[in-house]
This record gives sequence, structure tokens and C-alpha cells, in this order.
Amino acid sequence: MVNYFFLITLLPLIGFLVNGIFGYKIKNEKVAGIIGSGTILGSFIIALIAFFQLLGMPAEQRTITVTLFQWITAGSFNISAAYLIDPLSVVMSLIITGVGFLIHVYSIGYMHGDRGFARFFAFLNLFIFAMLNLVLGDNFLLMFLGWEGVGLCSYLLIGFWYEKKFTGDAANKAFWVNRIGDLGFMIAMFYILVNFGSLNFGAVFGAAGSSIAPGSTLITVITILLFVGATGKSAQIPLFIWLPDAMAGPTPVSALIHAATMVTAGVYMVARCSILFALAPFTMDLILAIGALTAFFAATIAVTQNDIKKILAYSTVSQLGFMFMALGAGAFSTGIFHVTTHAFFKALMFLGAGSVIHSMHEEQDVMNMGGLKNKMKVTFLTFLMGGIAISGIPPFSGFFSKDEILTNVYLSGNYLFFGLGVLTAFMTAFYIFRLIGLTFYGNPRYDEHKTHPHESPKVMTIPLIILAVLSVIGGFIGLPHIVGPNLIDHFLEPVFASARTILPVHHIEAGTEIMLIVISVFVAVVGIFLAYRAYAKAYKPEVSRNPVYNFVQNKYKVDEFYNAVIVTPLRMLSNLLYKFFDLIVIDGIVNGSGKFFTSLSGDWRKMQTGVIQDYAVISVAGIIAIIIFVLLVVK
Amino acid sequence: MNYYEIIFYVFAVLTVVSAGVVVFSRNIIYSAFALLFTFTGVAGIYVLLNADFIAITQLLIYVGGIMILLIFGVMLTTNVTNVEITTQTLKALPATIVVAIVSALLVSTMVSTKWAVKDPISVESTTINQIGELLLTKYLLPFEIASIVLLIAMMGAAFLARKN
Amino acid sequence: MLTQQILDGLSKFYPETILSVTILVIVFVELFFKKKTRVSGWIAMAGLAAAMLFTFLQVNIPAQTIFFQMVAVDPFSYFFKVLLILSGFLIVLFTFLSDEIRSSEFKTQEYYALLIALTLGGFLMASSVNLLMMYLALELSSLSSYVLAGYFKKSNRSSEAALKYVIYGGVSSGLMLFGISLIYGICGSLDMFAISAYLSANPVNLITLLIAIFLMLAGFGYKISAVPFHFWTPDVYEGSPMPVTALLSVSSKAAGFAMLIRFFLVAFQNAGHPTITTEGLHQYITLPGLHWPEVIAVIAVATMTLGNVVAIWQDNLKRLLAYSSIAQAGYMLLAFVVVSPQGISAMLTYLAVYLFMNLGAFFAAILISNKYKTENIEEMKGIGYRSPLLCVSMAVFMLSLSGIPMTAGFIGKFYIFSALINNGYIWLAIIGLMNSVVSLYYYIKILKNMFLIRPQGDTGAVSFGAGYSVLLLALAIPTIVLGIFFGPLTKFAEYSVQIFGLK
Repeated sequence: MVNYFFLITLLPLIGFLVNGIFGYKIKNEKVAGIIGSGTILGSFIIALIAFFQLLGMPAEQRTITVTLFQWITAGSFNISAAYLIDPLSVVMSLIITGVGFLIHVYSIGYMHGDRGFARFFAFLNLFIFAMLNLVLGDNFLLMFLGWEGVGLCSYLLIGFWYEKKFTGDAANKAFWVNRIGDLGFMIAMFYILVNFGSLNFGAVFGAAGSSIAPGSTLITVITILLFVGATGKSAQIPLFIWLPDAMAGPTPVSALIHAATMVTAGVYMVARCSILFALAPFTMDLILAIGALTAFFAATIAVTQNDIKKILAYSTVSQLGFMFMALGAGAFSTGIFHVTTHAFFKALMFLGAGSVIHSMHEEQDVMNMGGLKNKMKVTFLTFLMGGIAISGIPPFSGFFSKDEILTNVYLSGNYLFFGLGVLTAFMTAFYIFRLIGLTFYGNPRYDEHKTHPHESPKVMTIPLIILAVLSVIGGFIGLPHIVGPNLIDHFLEPVFASARTILPVHHIEAGTEIMLIVISVFVAVVGIFLAYRAYAKAYKPEVSRNPVYNFVQNKYKVDEFYNAVIVTPLRMLSNLLYKFFDLIVIDGIVNGSGKFFTSLSGDWRKMQTGVIQDYAVISVAGIIAIIIFVLLVVK
Repeated sequence: MNYYEIIFYVFAVLTVVSAGVVVFSRNIIYSAFALLFTFTGVAGIYVLLNADFIAITQLLIYVGGIMILLIFGVMLTTNVTNVEITTQTLKALPATIVVAIVSALLVSTMVSTKWAVKDPISVESTTINQIGELLLTKYLLPFEIASIVLLIAMMGAAFLARKN
Repeated sequence: MLTQQILDGLSKFYPETILSVTILVIVFVELFFKKKTRVSGWIAMAGLAAAMLFTFLQVNIPAQTIFFQMVAVDPFSYFFKVLLILSGFLIVLFTFLSDEIRSSEFKTQEYYALLIALTLGGFLMASSVNLLMMYLALELSSLSSYVLAGYFKKSNRSSEAALKYVIYGGVSSGLMLFGISLIYGICGSLDMFAISAYLSANPVNLITLLIAIFLMLAGFGYKISAVPFHFWTPDVYEGSPMPVTALLSVSSKAAGFAMLIRFFLVAFQNAGHPTITTEGLHQYITLPGLHWPEVIAVIAVATMTLGNVVAIWQDNLKRLLAYSSIAQAGYMLLAFVVVSPQGISAMLTYLAVYLFMNLGAFFAAILISNKYKTENIEEMKGIGYRSPLLCVSMAVFMLSLSGIPMTAGFIGKFYIFSALINNGYIWLAIIGLMNSVVSLYYYIKILKNMFLIRPQGDTGAVSFGAGYSVLLLALAIPTIVLGIFFGPLTKFAEYSVQIFGLK
């Protein structure tokens, strides 16, 4: 059988080459846009074919390996460039190409008139190519290549508008933080290579499952290092700081890379190595804790931000935290489920935000918006769908995945993290409806003579509508037990089968499940309600508040209550966390190590005096030092 | 102590002392003349080692050729006596320490090592025949390559010295 | 009998003979030209091409020594000959395309002759199996590079560079000569195989031997610019004409490595014949008590750390590349610590990859200095949008030098690190990795200036002639292709380390 699945990755590469090499010759934007999105559509179709082909096979045998060529042969060590097509990689590929295609189409409208139109599509295609290699690779090395590749594309795309100074800094920051994570990944890879003698997934996982004792130091070290890699790419504590800054790039980039796909690479990696992680209970607990804390902290910060993209960015960090909670609780398929639904609604909201920013002439501060719902109906409605989905109102998609995560955390017995999760769910609903309220409701707070918000062109709204539909119905692939079959869980089961045999099995009673559903719906509704009350009605941020007037009018009494009880403490906490954690600890470490090397460099540089006699003396002294070293130390 | 050793030490002292003058003298003409004695001393040691051909070469080329050239060079440079051609001593202390340690190391190894000493062979007449033969057989390649090295050195010197 | 042996040797010495003849022809032909001419450059290229052809004809000759065990003709020297010719060829082209050289008032006759002489010296360094021969080869290559470094004799910078180079080179080769004399004193021979035989049969004073080895390391270390023998590198690289700098950073370094590898493996490791250890690894047996791999490890770590850390401060692109090339030598030395065929073949792979990426970086630097008249990184702001092809190629070279995946540099590092890990040197691999992270800082700094900062002042596009673009691509494309498809290269490298000269 001729295997044509390699086309999944080849097509975006072709798109990249065509747009990259002939880009400056293609004067017609449509041509570049169609090449860019058409290749992704092709990939999507082939991924769909692969999906159905897998469905047609017996559940246990749903694995196809596509070997491209023998890649590295060094002694006993062999790696072939091969793709592994199994339920997990197919689900990821479908998200990447499907959502990716919609974002490509949207970008045709969004980037209209930009000088670097073809270049932009070239980078996007390159990104898709790298991301597909990441998820389809059948060994750690290919995955790592993809991993680095997406990092590089992210760097290029964040800094796409190089004219702005801060984009360069943001791109640099993203690059640096990711390198720290990558270092962890690479060292983990070395450990795997040394201990298992291979980097092939099948070989490593097989050997790990049969020969490694659960909880051994080796596997704990390897998994922690891998997780360090994941925290870098997926913006978890302590490496999350790059993601909000990365919003300096064009909005479709934020939607594609920093919401739907690249940032979920860490989740994918942990899920792919589920067997390794299942063998390391300590790491699993660590992941759960980090995930819960990240989800919570990021949500508190999101409450107080005013930049529309920053809110969504912190929201993404928070949702990624949810995914890691699922992984930490051993519910790998649930994590992937949330990746899927999150890809739909977060991409939707980013694109919606892009549509708003576009029509507001690059205004990003929600305090300068308001009342847009009548002027941008499609954007508003679709954004609202996304907001409901992320808040977790049934039957919208976010509800199912988030509820399943909370259920799993509850079942794993970590009630503290469960509580944090519920609190985060509440805040999620609150901040997203604060955003919606400030943006779309109330009175316009911008200069209506200068700015005339208008609905975006069809090429932008149609992807919004499709994503909105997906955000609404996407959750039905993973229904709770009491309602119906969990399709995605069932589909992914063979991939995680061996990990599940190690992890404890939890059974859930219908009563508990209903209770959990009620809790999660309740907090979401309360969050939405509070936010609606506070922000949706004519919100005036800078009205001089006469206390008597206010008291008589009774209008802001609730607001003040919120302010005092919820917003102010949250703001303080958020500020504290931001100042302490973000600015001092993390930036301190990152900048500190930079400073360390710079000053070291400055000191060592002084050895190069330019006087030849010095050189000779130092060299001979060096020989003496070496001799003394050998005589005293080595012997 | 036999005659052989006495002669050896005479040449050795001559070599070392004059080399010291070369290095430490502040007047470049003194240095140049002292070098003459250093070369001569080395030639004497070659004679003692039965290396007659090398001893003669040393005298002819170094003492006879290079030294004279050097002294001419110094003499013909204008204002030799007035201009500060004296060398400045840089980083004397570190250099002294380093040199002292190196010397200590070398002396200790010299004393403690069992060197591969060849058995004395009786030399009937001279070594020139053997050297000539070896240069064109076993050491043919190094001999030829040395000529290329010299050619390159000459070309380089000519290039750097030429005005344009 | 003797004549027969010499004739037989000559028949396997064609590439070197051709290079020697080329030198003479260039000197002779230039006598007829009053003005600057490219003729000698073409002759040099023709000579290199002919030498390449005859080198290729040697591919199937069984490994052997010729001229009474002076030089070896074996796969190992073959590998380096190919590398050296390739690099010599590219340097001639760089010289043609460099405005710096073109605008110089000096004739070029010595230039090309010296370039060929340097290549010839490299050939002999890679194939010498006799310490005398090795020393002569080293001097041949050094003497030519001294003069080349001072080629702009009217420029103070260039003259200073040449003078420092001469003095420093003199000190180093003097130390090396002293080391050779000690080894001769211990073993009574200059032949590497005889030394090896003597050492494995007779007990020797190891301390003396070690001192001799480290004195010799001064000579090797200076050629490959390893710490603490690297001091000449930044000054000389900065002062020399850019094509010469490129030549020094690749040809003379590669030849230095060849000499280092051959000397250590043949003299101290059972004449270069690997044995199989109990774990099934191919390794060379080290004389008991001779701890030279540990010393190489220390030097390697010091070299790459110093190179990378000091490079962070540099604003001058040539100086930065100088420190970067010091650091690269450190990575290659790391692989030598392993002392196994796997490690050596990783070194050779890295060297081949390094040829493309480093020459590429220098060529890009030449073009930048041609068109923008600057070597200062801070003055390269935004030029990525004025000359996209040039700067994208530069980005490829920089990323490759830092070892980002999908580039050839990654493969080089990957093989080195996996050799280290396979042999249990995990810590060295981790130090190497951390170094490559530090190195990113300065490589990315260049890219940041080129691409992420708005151009100041003039923003018009600056383009190059087709010849420049073709040469640039000829360097950039292998840098990428070797990052993905590198099977043949690694096979070649593995084949090259199989045997060291003696049947």
C-alpha cells in the first residue's frame, strides 16, 4: 500500500517554500493566501482520511507507522525519520490542521495590506509543518525537532512587526524562557537514550513498562526533566511569563500558536509519555500541583488586566493549567479533550478579539471600548458563544471538558486542588464576562467621531462562525457517564491503556457526578452574573464618584461591594503575585543569569590585554597548571 | 674529571653566560656580539658530541653568516646609540615565577628520567657521508619540504620588506 | 630497491606534488604581470582542482606509509585533504569577491602562493606519521599564515596582528619542539609507530612523558586555538583580511585537529588500533597511568566556556566570530575525550559541518563589510530587510553554529554529545549543552539586530551580484541539507577513522 500520510506534513512545507521563496514576487495577496491556506486544507483532509482509516481498524491495532527514511545510524543506535499515526496524534493533527486552516483563512482578511503578507503565510505554514512533526514523530528526536521548530516560528511570528520595539523584546523573552525548558527536555532525552538505548517511542515505552519499577529515581528524574520542558512550552509556573508578552505578535498568531496549538505541545508530550509519567507518582503530583496553581494564579491576574489580548493570554495560561491538572490526576484523555475544546473556543475568542482590535484601529484597552455589540453583531455573538463555552455552561463544549477535569481531580482525592479548580472556574466565568461586558455592552467609551467600529469582512467572520459552532457542539464528543458515551475517551483509550494499568482506577457514582456538575455549573453562573452586574451595564471607569450621590442612587453599592470583596483583594493578590513572582523571582532569575554571564564575560575579556608577553606568560602558566592538575588531581 | 668534561663545562659556561648577556643587556650591540659567543659555544658542544658536520655548519652559517648579517643590520640602522632600542621588561615577576617553575620541572625530570641513550659507536672518519646518504633516502621528504618552507619564508620576508 | 621505494612514494604523492608545483607556477607567472591580476587566483583554483582530482584517485589505495614512514596515505588523511581543498577553493572565491582585498594596492602573487602553501602544509600535517615531518608541516602552514595575516602591511592593525602571530606562534612551536625532543629522548625515535611500540614494551617515566605531551599540546593547542593557547586568535582574526581570517579559522584549525588526533592515537593508543571493551564498545587502549583524556576534557571545557562567555561582550563581528571559533574548537575537543572511533568520527563530522557554517558566516561578514562598510554589530540594525538573502543566510549560519535543530550544526553536536553519553561522560555532555545555550545569546544578538530592530537612516534595499548570491547559497544550502540528510557524511567520517596508516 502506498502510504500518502507523509503528505500531511509535506503540504505545509511546500506552502512555506512557495510563499517563502517566491513571496516577494507574488504581488497578489489572494494567491499567497490561497496557497497558504489551501495546503493546510489539504493536510486536514488527509488527516481526516487517516482518522477514518484508524476508525475502520480494530481498537487495539490503531497504529500506523510511516517510515520515511533511515535517518541516523551511529553504531547500535538507530533512528528512522518516521511518523506514528495513532489516535492521539490524529486528534492533535486534526486540531492543528483544522483550526489552523480556519485561522489561515481569517488571516487573509486580517493581514490585508500588510507589507509582509506572503512572509506571514510562509511563517504560518512553517509553523504548521513543525507542529505536525512534533505530534506525528515516532521518536523523541523528531518530536524535539518539531519542538524547536515551533519555538523558532513562534519567535519569528511574535517579532513579525519588527518596527515596534517591544515586539523584539517579547520575542527574545519567549525565546529565552523556552530555551530553559528545552534544556530540560534535551537532558531528559539524553537520560532516556542512555538508559533505554533508544529514542523510539515504542522501544522506550515498551522497555519502561516492563523493566522500570514505579517510583524509581531514574524515572522520576526523567519525567521531571520532561515536565520542565513542558512548562516552558506550555507556559506553566514558573516559566509562564513569556506568553502574555508574546501577545505583541499579530492576533492570528496569538490564536494559532499561543492558544490553540503550540502551547498545548507540553500537554501532548506528557500525554504521549503517559506510561513514563504513570510510573512516577511524585511527578504526577507535581504536575497536578503546578497545574492547579498556574490555573489559579493566572485567573486572578486575568481579572485585573485591561488589555483584551492580555486577558485572553492569562486565560490561556489558566486553561493550560487545567489541562495539566487533568494529566496530573491521571486523566490523560481528558487533558487532550480539553486541548480540543480549548482550541475551539480560545481560537474563537482570539480571532474575535482580533476582529474587535481591527475595527477599533489597533485599540486593545477594554476601558476604551464598550457598546460594540450592535456595531459588530457577528463578532459579538460568536464571542459570546466562546465566552459561555469557556465559562462552562452546558451544553457548550467547555463545560464537558472542564467538568470532567474537576471530576477526575475530585476522584484522585486532592480536595485542595479540586477547591482551587472550582474557584478558578468561578473566576474564569467572571473575567471572561467582565471582558465581554466592557467590550460589547454599555456605552461607547471611545471617541465616536474618530473611530467607527464596523463588522469585519466575511473572510474573517466565516471562520468565527465555524469556530463558534464547534465551540457549542464540540463538547458532545466527551459526554459525562450519566449522559452518554464518551467518544473521545474511548477513541484515545488504546494509547493510554498501558498507563492506565499502572494508575489506580476510580469509579464514580452517579450521585457524585451530578453533584459535581451542579457545583461547576453553579460557580459559572454566579461568576457570569456578578460580572454582568458589575460591567455589562453602563460602566464608567472614571466617573468622579460623589459618595452622597452614589449612596442615594444606590447604583454602585454592588459594585463597591464587589470591588471591596472580590476585585480589590484579587487585584492586590494579583498585583502581589505579579510583582513578586513575575517581576522579581522569574525576571530576576532570567535577567540574573544573563547578568551573571555578561559580567563573567566582562571579567574574562580582560585577560585579552593585547600585550603579547602576557599571552606567552599565561600560556606557559597554563601548561604548568595542567601538569599540576594531572600530578595532583587525576592521580 | 677528565679533559673531556672540562672542555664541556668551558663551552657550556660560555654558552649560558653569553646567552644571559644577550637577554639582559640593554645595548643591542652588546647583545649581538654576545650572541656570537653563544653560537660558538654551541658549536663547541657539537664537536664534543662527535657531530662534526653540524658543528661546522653551525660555525659557517650562524657565526659566519647570520651573525655578521645581524651585526651589519644593527650597525647600518641609523642612530643606534641614541635611540631607545633597548627592550622594556614587562611583567617581570609573573614571568620569573613561571620560568622558575618550568625550570624546576625540567631539571627534576632531567634527573629522574631514564633516557634512551644510544650505545657509543666508533666513528672512523666523519658523519658527512651518512648525513648525505640519509638526506637523500630516509629523510628525503623532510629535506624537500624544508626547501619549500624556506622558499615560503623567503617569499614572505620579501613581501613584507618590499615597499610595494 | 631504494629508488623503487621512492618512486612508489612519489606515485602516491601526486596531490602534494601538484600543490608544490602550483606555488612555483604562481610565483613565476606573476612576474609577467605589472598590475594586479586574477590570473594567479585562477591558477590556484586549477591547482586545487587538479589536487582534488588526484586525491579522489587515492580513494581506494590501501592504507600505507610512504617515503620511509614519513607520511601516511590512508582514509584519515584523505578526509582532511578533501576538507582542506574545499576550504582553499572557497577562500580563493572569497578573495575574488572581497572588496577589502580588491581595493588593496598590493599585488596578489604571494597571496595565492601562500594560500596554496598553507593548504600544502595542512595536507602534510594531516598525514605525517613522523614528528620531524609533523613539525616541518606545522612550520610550513604557520609561516604562510603569518604573512597572510599581515597582508595589509600598511594597516597597523594587520601588521600588529601578523607580528603578534609570529611571536606567539614562535613561542608555541618552540615549546612543541622541546616536547618533541623530550619524547625523542625517552623513546629514541621520532616515528610515531616506533614511539608507540617503545611505550607499550618498556616502562617509562610517566611524568616526563606527560610533560613532553603537554609541551607538545602547546603546538597543537595554538593551531586549533584551545585555551590557554588561544590568545593570538582574537587579535589576529580581527586584524587580518577577512578571507584570511576565514582560512585560519577553518583550514588551519582542521589541520591542527588532524595532527592532534593522529599523534595521540598512534603514539599513545596502541598504534591507533581500536579494541573492543567488555561492554562491546570500540575503544583505544590508553597506557596505564597516562591521563591525557582527562586533560583534554579540562581543556575542552575551558575552551568552550571561555569562548562562549567572552563572545557575549563582543561588538565587532570578526572578534565575535573569533571567540565563537574558539568555542567551536572546544566542542570538537569534547569528542576527543571519548578516545573511541565513535568520538573521532563525531569530530570529523563536526569539522565537515563546521567548514560550511563557519565559512558561510565569514562570507556573510565579508559581504556585510563590502556593502555596509561596518564590522560593528550595533551598526547592522535592520539590514535584514535591506538584504534579505544575505541576512537569512547569516541566520542559517548563526543558528547552525549554535546548534539549533534542522541545521547541520545540530547534527554535529548531536553526534558529539551522543558519543560522550554512550561512553558515560554525561556531565561533559551537559556542560556542552549549557554552553550551547549560552552561545545562543550572542548568535541571536546578531539576528536580533538584523531582523528585529528598525533600520536607521537609509532603508533602501541593497542587493548583490548573482555570483555572490550563488556562493552564499552554496554555503547555506549544505548547512541546512546536512542537518536533515547527513547519512553519507557520517558514513564517510566513520570510514575515515577506521585505520591509522599502518596496515
